[in-house]
Amino acid sequence: MSLKAIGRSIPQLESGSKVTGQGQYTHDVSLPGMLYACVLRSPHAAARIEGIDAEAARAMPGVACVITAADFSDNRYVNFGPAYADRYPMARDVVRFHGEEVAAVAAETPQQAWAAAQAIAVRYTAMPTATSLEAALAPDAPEIHPPKPNLPRNVAQLADARFGDVDKAMQSAVLSVEGSFRHGIVWPVCMETNATVARFDAASGELEVWCGTQAPFFVRKELAQVIGLPLGKIKVRSVLIGGGFGGKSQAPEQIAIAAMLAVRCGRPVKLVLSRDEEYLAGKTDHAKVMHLKTAVDADGNIVARFLEGLVDNGAYTHMGPVYVSAMRQRLLNLYRVQSAEYKAKLVYTNKVPGGSYRGMGAPGIIWALETQIDEIADKLGLDPVEYRKRIANRPGDVTQLGWKITSCALADCIQRAADLIGWEQKRGKLPKYRGIGIASMIHPSGSVLYPEGNFSNVALTAQPDGRFLIGTQTADAGTGQNTILAQLVADKLELPVELFDVLHMDTEQNPDDLGSAASRVTFVTGNAALNAGGDLLTEFKRRLAEDWSVSPDAIAYAGGIFAHPADASQNVGIDQLAQRYGSIRVEGHYAIDQARPDANGFGNYAVSYAFAAQAVEVEVDPETGHVRVLNVASVQDVGRVLNPTALEGQTYGGIMQGIGMALSEEVLFQDGKPVNRSLINYRVPRIADTPHIAVEFIETSEELGPFGAKAAGEPTINATIAAVANAVANAVGHRFHTLPITPEAVLAVLRAREPKPALKPYKRPYNAEVAAVRAAYPAMFPAMQKLGAALGHKRPRIGSFDLRQADNLQTALDTLGETANAAKLIGGGTDLLPGIRQGVYAPALLLSCAGLPGMRDIAIDGRGTISIGAAVTLSQLQNHAGIRQWLPGLYDAIGQIATLQVRNRATVAGDLCQEKRCWFFRSATPCYRFSGPSCPCYAVLGESRHHSIIGAGRCAAPCVSDLAPILTALGACLHVVGPQGNRVVMVEDLYVWAGETVLRRGEIITRIEIPAAAGAFHYEKYARWRGDFAESAAAVSLSGDRNCLRHVRISLGGVAPKPVRAMESENLLLGAGLSQARIRAAAEAAVHGALPLKDNHYKTTLTIAVVGRAIAAALDALPVEMAAE
Amino acid sequence: MKQPAPDNAATVMAFTVNGRDVSLSVRADITLAELLRDQLALTGTKIGCGSGECGACTVIVDGAAVPACITPALLVQGADIQTVEGLAIEDALHPLQRAFIDNGAFQCGFCTAGMLMSATALLKQNPHPSEADIRMALQGNICRCTGYVQILKAVQEAAR
Ligand code: FES
Ligand code: FES
Repeated sequence: MSLKAIGRSIPQLESGSKVTGQGQYTHDVSLPGMLYACVLRSPHAAARIEGIDAEAARAMPGVACVITAADFSDNRYVNFGPAYADRYPMARDVVRFHGEEVAAVAAETPQQAWAAAQAIAVRYTAMPTATSLEAALAPDAPEIHPPKPNLPRNVAQLADARFGDVDKAMQSAVLSVEGSFRHGIVWPVCMETNATVARFDAASGELEVWCGTQAPFFVRKELAQVIGLPLGKIKVRSVLIGGGFGGKSQAPEQIAIAAMLAVRCGRPVKLVLSRDEEYLAGKTDHAKVMHLKTAVDADGNIVARFLEGLVDNGAYTHMGPVYVSAMRQRLLNLYRVQSAEYKAKLVYTNKVPGGSYRGMGAPGIIWALETQIDEIADKLGLDPVEYRKRIANRPGDVTQLGWKITSCALADCIQRAADLIGWEQKRGKLPKYRGIGIASMIHPSGSVLYPEGNFSNVALTAQPDGRFLIGTQTADAGTGQNTILAQLVADKLELPVELFDVLHMDTEQNPDDLGSAASRVTFVTGNAALNAGGDLLTEFKRRLAEDWSVSPDAIAYAGGIFAHPADASQNVGIDQLAQRYGSIRVEGHYAIDQARPDANGFGNYAVSYAFAAQAVEVEVDPETGHVRVLNVASVQDVGRVLNPTALEGQTYGGIMQGIGMALSEEVLFQDGKPVNRSLINYRVPRIADTPHIAVEFIETSEELGPFGAKAAGEPTINATIAAVANAVANAVGHRFHTLPITPEAVLAVLRAREPKPALKPYKRPYNAEVAAVRAAYPAMFPAMQKLGAALGHKRPRIGSFDLRQADNLQTALDTLGETANAAKLIGGGTDLLPGIRQGVYAPALLLSCAGLPGMRDIAIDGRGTISIGAAVTLSQLQNHAGIRQWLPGLYDAIGQIATLQVRNRATVAGDLCQEKRCWFFRSATPCYRFSGPSCPCYAVLGESRHHSIIGAGRCAAPCVSDLAPILTALGACLHVVGPQGNRVVMVEDLYVWAGETVLRRGEIITRIEIPAAAGAFHYEKYARWRGDFAESAAAVSLSGDRNCLRHVRISLGGVAPKPVRAMESENLLLGAGLSQARIRAAAEAAVHGALPLKDNHYKTTLTIAVVGRAIAAALDALPVEMAAE
Repeated sequence: MKQPAPDNAATVMAFTVNGRDVSLSVRADITLAELLRDQLALTGTKIGCGSGECGACTVIVDGAAVPACITPALLVQGADIQTVEGLAIEDALHPLQRAFIDNGAFQCGFCTAGMLMSATALLKQNPHPSEADIRMALQGNICRCTGYVQILKAVQEAAR
């Protein structure tokens, strides 16, 4: 057979619609008469619902209906099966996590739906919570769900088994390593948030659903269950899906809610989750604690592994049991393992429920296993690459878990990945703080899931126009699997792939299939598609045989032509036949013919297994702790490569997601509520983080796979964390046991080897008081929280506002001055608009003064005094020719603020006046600055790595404006007009606290003036990603001679509520005889008076480094003639 | 127009979209992204975060790539706006669109419109960008699927 499409980089079938914006995602679906929905979510991690009063909401304008749990059937979601079914479609009587769905509204507009949802009065009685694994397993833990028979409190599943003869195997053990590994929760972060459009036709009783799901099959099943409609009446329609990564592989709750609203209202309903809701209630990966021990014999053979694992289930069970088994599968199958003991608990906590995410827990356990492989290699004095090759799985192996390894090129993958990264040349020979590491992975391909998951059906229709339509209920969330199916069938029929279309998802047109999960589509659905191709040929032969009165067996088929056995003139192309016979549709079936593993997980779980190795090179900045991945080499044994570009893309994507998990992604919680709910401080990798990635494939033919292929897309994430962690360990000589490996974690390790910087907290008189209050916080906090809840003011939330553009200064002043207007100035809106949604601002009127004379002008006089209109954008300022001439350091400085898109909108005055970014404040936590003086500061006991180390008092939020320290160092002032006249305010004096200024009601900044600077200026900023807010920043302006500075101003950002001057440092730099030692002393003096919080000690070392670098760079930038003076 | 013109607090404003003059009444509290998607049915511009953090909504306003999700609609009065729908001329794809397809520079495609618009603005200002320039221009655009490798390649190819 000639293979034409397989093995070629066929572009995605949906390419045209994706690059032109014509493709329809759920977000884009619009139906006539459509209503908009909004969900009311629980503000408690655990509470009893005493009553819900929706009368006021129902009476509000535009509201069509309000639903609660009472509107649904009495059934729970099926989720992982009846034994685990623990969740109703909306909270009944009790809420178990912050963000749980309590009520929902459908109204004519999204604003009306939102407003009505706010008007629903729910009476809660807060209950004790258990928001961590430890708290949930404590003897006095509150019961999150009623206890299950034979299971301890808050345990949803218990697994406990031995495989192989552990005792006997241990007799040959000569060495073992042991340790605990812990990682938190990551979010899948699909770029399209979950959304649903639902339409119900009362006459026919049919429910149609458009939603970005990876599993239409599950959606129908769950909807039938909770809405109470027959399965046959529920139809899922086809849409494009903006990313899945497992995050959309179950039926998310908003589908049932939109569907129920549509049923109740009799009109179509659209529900689009905001990014914030996605964070609160979209399903996450699962956190784990793994206590692991690996024992080896004298040759390094793994004689036994022991694992005690805890999996954080969140408040409800979705895919937790799979995470339990994922640990077991790697424990026993990654490398040759002679025996193992496995104990795991799936534990309920009052947190957002875990779902699935790419790799299904494999990346975390592989990180633990591979860390110990490295440790053993170390102890045995073996090279990590050689050692891994020695213990690698081989074809023909049957593992202690019963996995039958057929094709396997793991040892080759390891060697090739090592070669690609330059292992020989680099290991042990790299400069200090550079390192390389390697790790492997194994992943099942074509898993034996449960009866419904083991089969697939694919429809294939020959159409009269000569084209072919492949119909599948799987859903292509962007992986290109639709294209792969077309490639498979095209080659089966020996036709150009261009003749094929794929209709995915649609459950009315297409036959049943479980959907896109567990790396099954290429394998199971791919084989079904091939069979459909075969069935179509058979069907055509049968018909032709009748027409031609010959036996079907006598008809040959090749190259798209059916050949008449005797009369070549009757030969006919396959694309002609649907014209002759009408549309012809066949269904291809495929089922995995293999028994499921037993209750302990023993048995051959999949038809075949994919293997890979990844090698990684990193560079660690010893002063900031920042880990940068420089190179990645990934070599995969995937059987046959069906579409190289698509598979490379999947590999790059998986690796980058893995780098995120390894180094930066982490959901931070306060009392069970995720607080870092933004793509600024939940840090997914961006394009600046992309290293050089070399990707290769080793093709081992897998007999049973379609055209020899194995699963390939999902598992590319599996080895990444481990490889990165091993490289970091190689770079810094320390193995991290907690993920992600953050800059603060790295700094803490490096700093432990050096003398601690002297903080001299007595240099700030109030520190003693602050320290005393902080010491009392643990005792006071609960009472303060209660007091705050009772007395704290609720910030008003607005759904709508007016916006005006001032055409003269006087009207602007009058409008602003009028209290009743509740007006606020808007610059670019980059802080204001998100802030309004977060409840930080609630203006009735936004006033833009950008059109007033001079507001957008930049003027530079002959001496270099720079005047900048308040509404000048950051980009405009940066790109002004005069800036590069007079103040080149400012050009570079502005380039470090936010992202280009934001700089194109954000104004200079807006940057100065933006609100604080403390995540407690931004997540509307009732804290001191959000809800008033009766409330506590959450940073004292909570996640405080972002917060101030200097000058924090009642509130620890730091100054995040970049221009604040920059303009402070430059000695700039603001020209302000106001009802009481004009005044000039030094930027240095602008702030009373983070994001709070001395400007009075009705005052307007008109321009900023930077005095002529004779020397040099430099802004040094450490942010976790380029464009993020500063963790620490220093602006330095100086003049004089390189050995004798006449003038120095240093201002710090990101470390104190205000852009503090580092006066002591300044003084140390002034005067003759400037030496390296004095520069170092000046840098260290910048943190004198610091009083760090529990998590942000790293900022002291970081700040010393940042200030030191800023001074050095500014000195370098001093004009040469001046230095020579 | 997909939705009836709202009447409360609406102002009539004029601007051009993809070279076409548009004049319509706009509520004060909606963003440029909502205006494009809901009132002009130009749904190629996506909303990934609504907070200026992901770049999915990037459009070009008077030559500059901006996040449409945090740009109040009324503030683009009189502006010249380009969206992904204006990139291809008739059936002829823009070189960037071609290069994105040829290099597999998207998977789910949800970030693609924003990526294309950021890259378009870049190439307009800087027809031969360095790799560092491209990274800088696209730093505001998150892609969760591709790991960015093929996006970098595609922009480089289109710039050749
Ligand atoms: S949607 Fe506008 S930046 Fe994310
Ligand atoms: S292609 Fe999916 S987010 Fe970029």
